[in-house]
Amino acid sequence: MSQPVAPVRHVLIEGNKSYHQITEDLCSPTEKAPSREWIVVFALATAFVGLYVFAIVWTVWKGIGTWNLNRTINWGWDITNFVWWIGIGHAGTLISAILLLFRQRWRTGVNRAAEAMTIFAVICAGQFPIFHMGRVWMAMFTIPFPNTRGPLWTNFNSPLLWDIFAISTYFSVSVLFWYTGLVPDLATIRDRASGFRRKMYDLFSFGWTGSAKHWQRHESLSLVLAGLSTPLVLSVHTIVSFDFATSVIPGWHTTIFPPYFVAGAVFSGFAMVQTLMVITRKVLNLKEYITINHIESMNKVIVLTGTIVGVAYLTELFVAWYSGYIYEQFAFYNRVFGPYWWSYFGMMFCNVVSPQLFWSRSIRRSVWWTFFMSILINIGMWFERFVIIPTTLARDFLPSSWSLYSPTWVEISMFLGTIGVFFFCYLVFTRVAPVVAVAEVKAILKVAGDQYIGPKAKKAHGHAHSEPATKKAEEEG
Amino acid sequence: MHHDNGIWVSTEDLMRDESFLQAAEKEFSVENLDQTDGKWETNRRDFLKLLGFGLGAATVAASCEIPVKKAIPYVSKPDEIVPGVANYFASSFVNGGDYCAVLVKTREGRPIKIEGNTLSSVTKGGTSARAQASVLSLYDTRRIQHPGAVKEGNVNKMEWNALDREVKSKLSAGGNIRLITQTIISPTAKKALAEFTTKYPTARVVTYDPVSSAALLAANEQSFGARVIPNFKFGEADVIVSFGADFLGTWISPVEYAREYAKNRKIRGAKGAKMSRHYQVESHMSLTGSNADNRILIKPSETGAAIVALYNELTGNSGGPKLSNEKSAAAIKKMAQDLANHKGKSLVVSGSNNVMEQLYVNEINRMLGNLNTTIDFNAVSYQRQGDEREMMRLIDEMNAGQVSVAIVWGANPAWDLPNAAKFKEAFAKVGTRISFNGIIDETTAECTHSAPAHHILESWGDAEPKAGHLSLIQPTIAPLFKTRQAEHTLLEWADSPNLNRQDEQPYYQYLKSHWTSDLFSRQTKYSTAAAFWDMSLHDGVLEFPATEVGAVMNEVSLNPDAVTKPSGSELEISFYETVNIGGGQYAHNPWLQEMPDPVTRTVWGNYLSIPVEWDGVNEINGWKGLNDGDNVEVEINGQKLACTVVRTFGQPAGTVAIALGGGRESGGCGVGYGVYVNPVLPVEGGLIQYFAGNVKVSDKVGADKHFPSVQFHHTMGVQAMGKDEGKVINVDEKTLGWKGFQGALTDRSIIFHTHVNELPKFAEKMEAFHEEAEHLNVQTLYPDRTDFFGTGVKWGMYVDMNACVGCGACQVACVSENNVPVVGKKEVHRHHEMTWLRIDRYFYGDFENPKVVYQPMMCQHCDNAPCENVCPVNATNHSMEGINQMAYNRCIGTRYCANNCPYKVRRFNWLDYTTADVWPANEEKVFRLEGDDKPFLADNLVRMVLNPDVTVRTRGVIEKCTFCIQRIQEGKLTAKREGRAIMDNDVRTACQTACPTGAIVFGNLNNPDSEVSKLTKANAPIAYKVLEEINVRPGVSYSAKVNNSNEELYS
Repeated sequence: MSQPVAPVRHVLIEGNKSYHQITEDLCSPTEKAPSREWIVVFALATAFVGLYVFAIVWTVWKGIGTWNLNRTINWGWDITNFVWWIGIGHAGTLISAILLLFRQRWRTGVNRAAEAMTIFAVICAGQFPIFHMGRVWMAMFTIPFPNTRGPLWTNFNSPLLWDIFAISTYFSVSVLFWYTGLVPDLATIRDRASGFRRKMYDLFSFGWTGSAKHWQRHESLSLVLAGLSTPLVLSVHTIVSFDFATSVIPGWHTTIFPPYFVAGAVFSGFAMVQTLMVITRKVLNLKEYITINHIESMNKVIVLTGTIVGVAYLTELFVAWYSGYIYEQFAFYNRVFGPYWWSYFGMMFCNVVSPQLFWSRSIRRSVWWTFFMSILINIGMWFERFVIIPTTLARDFLPSSWSLYSPTWVEISMFLGTIGVFFFCYLVFTRVAPVVAVAEVKAILKVAGDQYIGPKAKKAHGHAHSEPATKKAEEEG
Repeated sequence: MHHDNGIWVSTEDLMRDESFLQAAEKEFSVENLDQTDGKWETNRRDFLKLLGFGLGAATVAASCEIPVKKAIPYVSKPDEIVPGVANYFASSFVNGGDYCAVLVKTREGRPIKIEGNTLSSVTKGGTSARAQASVLSLYDTRRIQHPGAVKEGNVNKMEWNALDREVKSKLSAGGNIRLITQTIISPTAKKALAEFTTKYPTARVVTYDPVSSAALLAANEQSFGARVIPNFKFGEADVIVSFGADFLGTWISPVEYAREYAKNRKIRGAKGAKMSRHYQVESHMSLTGSNADNRILIKPSETGAAIVALYNELTGNSGGPKLSNEKSAAAIKKMAQDLANHKGKSLVVSGSNNVMEQLYVNEINRMLGNLNTTIDFNAVSYQRQGDEREMMRLIDEMNAGQVSVAIVWGANPAWDLPNAAKFKEAFAKVGTRISFNGIIDETTAECTHSAPAHHILESWGDAEPKAGHLSLIQPTIAPLFKTRQAEHTLLEWADSPNLNRQDEQPYYQYLKSHWTSDLFSRQTKYSTAAAFWDMSLHDGVLEFPATEVGAVMNEVSLNPDAVTKPSGSELEISFYETVNIGGGQYAHNPWLQEMPDPVTRTVWGNYLSIPVEWDGVNEINGWKGLNDGDNVEVEINGQKLACTVVRTFGQPAGTVAIALGGGRESGGCGVGYGVYVNPVLPVEGGLIQYFAGNVKVSDKVGADKHFPSVQFHHTMGVQAMGKDEGKVINVDEKTLGWKGFQGALTDRSIIFHTHVNELPKFAEKMEAFHEEAEHLNVQTLYPDRTDFFGTGVKWGMYVDMNACVGCGACQVACVSENNVPVVGKKEVHRHHEMTWLRIDRYFYGDFENPKVVYQPMMCQHCDNAPCENVCPVNATNHSMEGINQMAYNRCIGTRYCANNCPYKVRRFNWLDYTTADVWPANEEKVFRLEGDDKPFLADNLVRMVLNPDVTVRTRGVIEKCTFCIQRIQEGKLTAKREGRAIMDNDVRTACQTACPTGAIVFGNLNNPDSEVSKLTKANAPIAYKVLEEINVRPGVSYSAKVNNSNEELYS
């Protein structure tokens, strides 16, 4: 990981950290008793997990009829939430893989948490396609394995089947990538722990010793997984968009969906990373690792992807008009001015208008603005999926079948429940693993630490090279 | 082991290893079998023992008790029953004056489906929704199961002979006996009644109809000297004028009339097409009015004024009441001109219940020369015989204590009379009150005794709906309960010498002897009485050649002052019979309750139709700002009704309308749905009037939380004068879109309509449309599959939207044939209705007086089906015969197919509607009858109606129209057995056979001789596929809707 670095780089690690101090800062949250805030939030999240379980049991037991979907609108909050969560689950891999390829060093401060978030978001997303099935107990029909059920086989023409492959692949690669990165850090915690904890971390760090061979293999595996993940970042949401793009329904049947969905996914993923990072850096006191520079970088990505999404929205409208096809025209007219106009305007405001504020440097660098905007974007992206799914279905070809839709408490509970699941997982994660990748941060200390390149830097270190990897283990302790 | 052929199985084998050779020698070595090496405490045998014990213990502990269901084979199989093969019995559906010649399909002794009897020249194989649904009422759990004494709405069981003894003692005690009946069209029943009245001379039969035609009968008696309904030949008329008579839906004999009417409406080819012209003068959008070419809107109290206006115009007279609407008055003048131009080829009918108005109509028909051309007396109809004035007299008699025994047979006066409360009061003064009715309806609840009659499908009987047109009723199942034929009961009580009580089925013998003695001698076809009876029973119908009866018109003085005087009030209300639940007689049938009203598209109840208004700019509003589902209070002559409103296009300003038949109070599933309106019906000169003036409607006082409407958007191109534009504009576009989006609604390739005179031009337009669509469709990456479907059989359908009158018979037939579950009001409100076939209804044309097009919509069986490629598990796929199939067992319920269906015909089992799941805990929200502890379809009695050829679907799977795949399979087997190619008649879908007008034709598109190919070809280019341009390649073609409106009527 040692590359020549231009001196114009931002300071990415503040506070004149030593290697030991980094270890202390990042590992201590897993070693201390949980704070009161943590306990309160965790209890709340657990309650929502309970709500989630209840909603699921209710749905499976009683039937999808406990939701308010109908003969016209067969997907509502379920698939809206699915796409929303999957979108959120894009930031982690993007930061880990693509930013790695682009040599963006600032990623080391946030990649661990972002990857964890990705995994938890994909877990949440996966719930919906599973439990929206009328007969979830027959879900294994979707898996192509040799069976005794006669000549029936899965339908490889169906985008839903592509989804299954796309998401399960994405999930497994993301988990592997995340865990690979975790191994040295878990070993670091192990080395500081004793008793049962030590045993457990020993087990989970696979007996990592920090030997040169270990590092070499770790680096190679990380690189291979990064290579694997890169196309996945683009493919997952592309395939999710095929659920709609390959259909015949006006408003769904558009070729713009794949890039538009990917941009939207990155957009919403970064927004969710911002939401979590702003809280995490405050609560776990990691402001020196997740700096304002990090936040600003991510806000730049947000303004870029938000604008791409905006262009996509306008392109859709233009193409609908330009197509000269009345159903297409009406579908988009209906999106904007139909019975769900508020969701369209909500989407437009949150996703296209509000991110433009980030052209201002002071807003971009304001923690409060960032947090507020990240929430707005999360809402906006939910609206986007709502606009695409139930709004489009509500008024399609035959006016006789037009209908309206609002969710029941079961659907709402299931959504709130997945938010509970997400935070439950994330909170557990902050207690068991370092939320910032210790080893990776250390690796860039000499090229991005303030004592090396900041105003306090010693001139001699202006062109510092990073330490050999083997040395790091010695300094830990 | 080593063989010389060079084959070896391992390196040891190849190397001839010593140990290997040794082992190979001992093929069945027992070494190592029982070996324990000390590490494992249990050996293989112990493991197996433990495994066996564990499994056994787990099984016992789980004690999976699966209910034992016994299927008992026949000990001696009846000759005519082959398990798995349906038997059809010719019979008749009769309820009061409602009649339909039918074939009853039975499976293993259970009637499961009603089909039309094509041998009848009255109904010609057509059916009505009511006839289709009658099979469900056989399995009504609310039926009275035994005779008995009625106490507090319950029937306390008695034996028949005990009841007979008790009743006979009352009957012979002297005192007046009154029988209250609906119209009886059975000659043999009348004979039995005659025996009864001979035995008891104080007995008299009082007949009335739930919805009255008394004035029509009275007027005909005066005009023609016979209290009958003449033979209306709607098929012979070029101009038809109806003053509020709903002859396609409910009036007298709608199945017969609809078939006749449609004959003159079907288009065969664009060149030289001709059709009749139909004017409907009415004050609410009736089913018949919705089919009319021109509607003339009047206030309900002005029907008489409209009739007189027509008469005056034809005769040059003046005088009589005037129409308040000048536009309508002018239109009637133009209509009169049209009638005068078609003398002898026109027909005027009226649904009015005012004698003078009907006399005027008779006179108009005479003047137009329609007697003996479009109206004749060769085969008069007996389908309405009642007179409510007799009921009014009976109430007086009962009040005076002059009646000692009252017998109610089929009628329900304690509910359907306007003065039902008075009736009940008077009825209570009768000492013995006996009901033959099959359920504890409002009248039976007031009786002292219940002597329940069989259901029509358990009965013997006959019917003569029209003179010389007889048909038989035969039982298709042994009586389910201890009921007894009503006629049998009467003969029993009359101590009839002609009733052989020793016989197993005494009334059967009685009926047979009537036929073989009286009717046998009137015919010449059969030489022996036995052959005559057998063939009549086989055919179900017996028709005598019509005897020419020239209509002679009596001189009747017409008095324009005796017609109804216009009320002059600002708001008037009309009450109408619906095609499904009638005047309430059919309210206890869940299939009919869940069949949407063709016009209002609502189910489970009657809703107040209010006019729709347009502000001239952007908003379509309900009258008074009321919205669908709002509750209002309606005050009619001081009486109040709590109604829920439905905004209805075509409802004239200053009027509202509500159907009869809601708010049943006792007896079955209709209880608690809708509003009981009968008490507010005014009575003029003893005749019930189906309208009222002096109506006040309150503002919104609440809302129906579960307003069940299956269609939210109703219009496709209605036009009116725009305020800003100052010219006639498209209201749909204006309210839904703006300029630039013009056409988003009207130009949808769903409905095409034109005027008959513009057909050639329209055909050119359609030609261009087909070309454009084909051009778009060939722009595909995927190979064309036409060749694939061009060989063998390719099933397809043709729907004639000019013949479709929207009556809904097909919809109920589909429900019956395909085990479509009833979901109830709340589920329909949530748009969870399960109907595989629906009839979309769109309004177009003038905003205030729109035209209507009905479009039966079922799975289009697309050859490029969008539903098929999106199913992840291949649960829906295409057959080689062009059928889009569903494998329910494979379906996991992602509902992607339903989303991707452009026609939205796929239905998902949201809840456990059919109670197919093993646990009952999820049935809480599933439809059940009021007061029942289990869901409707969980009852074993109700389940008898299920078609065993069609899978009952479970929760969580998608279902949809299969083109009646079970019938296709049956037809293919028949053809195969007979060693020939499949023909049209081998396979006819349920909707096709149910349709009274022949609007639906099904068959093999690859066979150039099939009717469906011929029709599609003959009607090109005005035949089209819905959404033809999206390359889904549907298998169903529709004909464009053609009207023959008088364009100058309002100019």
